Amino acid sequence: MISKSAIGIITLVLGAMLFCGAVSAAESGLPEHSADRLLIGTTTSLDATKLLDLLTEKFETENNVDVQWVAVGTGQALEYGRNCDVDIVMVHDRVAEDAFIDGGYGLDRRIFGYNYFLLVGPESDPAQVSGLNATAAFAAIDTIGADDETVIFVSRGDNSGTHSREKLLWKNGGYDYAAINISPWYREAGAGMGQTLTMAEELQAYTLSDSSTWGAYESDLTLVPLVENDDAFLNIYAVIRINPDTCQDVNTEMAKKWENFMISPEVQDIIATYGIEEKGTAYFNPALGNEEFIGVTIDETTDPVV
Amino acid sequence: MIEIQDIRKEFDGKEVLSGVTQTIRKGEIFAIIGPSGQGKTTLLRILNLLEIPTSGTILFEGTPIQASPDSNLFRRRMGMVFQSTVAFRDTVFNNIALGLRYRGHSKKEIHELVMKKLDEIGLSGYENRRALTLSGGEKQRVSLARVMVTGPDLLILDEPTANLDPVSTNVIEDLIRHYNREFGTTVIMSTHDLIQGQRLADRVAVMMEGRFIQSGTIFDVFLHPSSKKVASFIGIGNIITGRVVRNEDGMSVISVKGVEIYSIDTIPPGTPVTLAIRPEEITLHIVPEEKTSARNVIAGTIESVRLFGIISLISVMSGDLKLSVQVTWQSIRELDLKPGIPVTISFKAPSVHIMPGESTHACY
Amino acid sequence: MNDLLTGIETAFLLIQTADPEVIDITIRTLQITFSSVLISVMVAIPLGAAISFREFRGKKTAISIIQTLYALPTVVVGLLCFMLLSRSGPLGDLGWMFTPNGMIFGQTILIIPIMTGLTISALQAIDPIITDTIRSLGASRFQFLKSHLREARFAIMAAIIVGFSRAISEVGTAIMIGGNIKGHTRVLTTAISLQTSMGNFNLSLALGIILLVIALIINLFMGFVQNR
Repeated sequence: MISKSAIGIITLVLGAMLFCGAVSAAESGLPEHSADRLLIGTTTSLDATKLLDLLTEKFETENNVDVQWVAVGTGQALEYGRNCDVDIVMVHDRVAEDAFIDGGYGLDRRIFGYNYFLLVGPESDPAQVSGLNATAAFAAIDTIGADDETVIFVSRGDNSGTHSREKLLWKNGGYDYAAINISPWYREAGAGMGQTLTMAEELQAYTLSDSSTWGAYESDLTLVPLVENDDAFLNIYAVIRINPDTCQDVNTEMAKKWENFMISPEVQDIIATYGIEEKGTAYFNPALGNEEFIGVTIDETTDPVV
Repeated sequence: MIEIQDIRKEFDGKEVLSGVTQTIRKGEIFAIIGPSGQGKTTLLRILNLLEIPTSGTILFEGTPIQASPDSNLFRRRMGMVFQSTVAFRDTVFNNIALGLRYRGHSKKEIHELVMKKLDEIGLSGYENRRALTLSGGEKQRVSLARVMVTGPDLLILDEPTANLDPVSTNVIEDLIRHYNREFGTTVIMSTHDLIQGQRLADRVAVMMEGRFIQSGTIFDVFLHPSSKKVASFIGIGNIITGRVVRNEDGMSVISVKGVEIYSIDTIPPGTPVTLAIRPEEITLHIVPEEKTSARNVIAGTIESVRLFGIISLISVMSGDLKLSVQVTWQSIRELDLKPGIPVTISFKAPSVHIMPGESTHACY
Repeated sequence: MNDLLTGIETAFLLIQTADPEVIDITIRTLQITFSSVLISVMVAIPLGAAISFREFRGKKTAISIIQTLYALPTVVVGLLCFMLLSRSGPLGDLGWMFTPNGMIFGQTILIIPIMTGLTISALQAIDPIITDTIRSLGASRFQFLKSHLREARFAIMAAIIVGFSRAISEVGTAIMIGGNIKGHTRVLTTAISLQTSMGNFNLSLALGIILLVIALIINLFMGFVQNR
């Protein structure tokens, strides 16, 4: 009594099983935190430039490993680290990093690069921030924004490194962030850098961006950089491996190798030149050789991880 | 073969079956007749083990079965056809084959048996049609085939032709008769159409208010309804009440609304009685002097003429007493019978049927 | 409007040139969706049948709850699964976080309520007289179940189609559990989400069109099976 509909169902089931079999086959090199996989929790700003694509390809050929990463805000990346869902994090928020390491979740922070934040905005610049320094620019947005409806500021609003820096800048300017947050000209996006830039573009608004993402999106936007190269805009990237004492299954061997890879002169060179061909200037600056400038110790940029 | 012993069934506090008892013989066709909503369906469902009775026993060839509804041992020896047609979303072939598949017959056997059944029910060639596209009568034939193909000892039918046209009804009735005769299948069926009961059944039982109030052959019931209820269900008109005034010549004279009626039953004077007279046993006379041997001759006037096909009922009023008389349509036309015409009606004393133990009692 | 046309154009181009990344995410989308549908069918249909045919206290409540779960937001399922599958969570040892297996887990949980609920609806829609006939013919427990599922097969197939559609189109769970890792856990919906956030609208549209085309093909096939 094999009815026709039974045949149909059987075909479907077999088809599905074929696919599932394909899944297992394709994923065979991918059990959890085995020695075969290194999972990085990182930020959208590192991902957007495709630097990670380049570096992981190099690392994978030199080491027999599959490097993967999830690109979320700094806050979420560190949370993944706390939950032992990643082997290593690459973030850019010193204060949050310190708390992370002090809490015993991370070890062996190494600084591998830096760039700058910059304030971008509409060409018309209604708040007239062009030429001002960072603090003054923020103040101008608040003052003029109070009366001028066309002044809008879009915030990442997602606990990312960029968002943390933004909050710090408001604080340094003597502002109460809670008050800023509810100002009529303030828009909290709750999104990654790319999406925030897109939103700022639509709203013709100001926003704080890291230079690498900006570099990747610039050509598609009408927004222009208005305030750059301020000390307050320095953006330092660190890599921290997850503490095997808090996370038993972490791929410590590969994590250490990755850290050493990141601070190796070879990679620092790559970082120094990445983007020059396309954009004319590099997306990132190497940490190696610039320790004093960015305010970190030699150890943090050169000490091999063992 | 089947013994029903004091079956009672309650639904939500309401008693639907209040003590049904009956024995059904192997190989007979037994019809349960009665108005709808009196418990016929419930009883049949209990018999087919689709419901469990609140109390009472059903013996199937001596073994109690009512409490073991999922015992396929007994279920597979009976089959039930329901009032509404049952068609599965499938071909006619698969519809009929279902029971055989449950019983694990081989593909070859199933094919043979189903094709044979299709032939018996007159639907050869229908095997690949989708059952849902059949007419009501055809679907009911399929339902019958679905049951009979498994060769049950007992066939239960719940008002099987209630929703069918006369032609389909005939076909189904013929099939029921055929299966009963050919295979000796015992048949228990319910119907609200007592003429169907007359056509098919060896014995009948009248079910009212959850019990069998009379059972026997169809003639027993027709000719000797045991109560007013049975009588009115059967459709005897002229159910009237009166009192015996005297006995005369071995007969009782009953006064009904001032009219004296002679009956052959001997009943003590003074007894209140209920009596019934069949409309077809009353004769209508236009010419009063017509001789008649009937004991009861009553003068009256035509009150109404109601046409029912070729037989019609004429109401005749005699004082306050109204009696219905059956007259052929032809007579009505020939004699130009109309309301207002003075007539005489006559009927024999034996036609006066007295019903026992009623008239002053409140009902059951 | 311009974007839409460009999107359609891009879609054709991607298909024509058999863009490897698109093929990769398409195959993965199908693998994950088929897997979750398969597992759900094995759970939901027996479960639906069990609930439908048994009488028990709280049956109506159970059915209400199942139907309420139809509206489970995918992000909520994603969040729940995240809490379960995270290394620091109860099922952490499975190591399914950021893997396709985790995504299958999440999608299965998402669609089981719908499939179960619709199976129950399908079975309850069967005329009771059919059930009477099946019982009357002396069906065993298994035959009883099989005959009912067969009678309701049209509606049950519809339940499977609905489950499949919800699985293939969801983003929330896939992103939270999978992490949208290129080459490993990126599927059509998460790729669309990414491209949109990067402002590449015509690419997003193209991927969206591809997803719809695939869904259409699958549905045509399922419809064909359904009608035989």
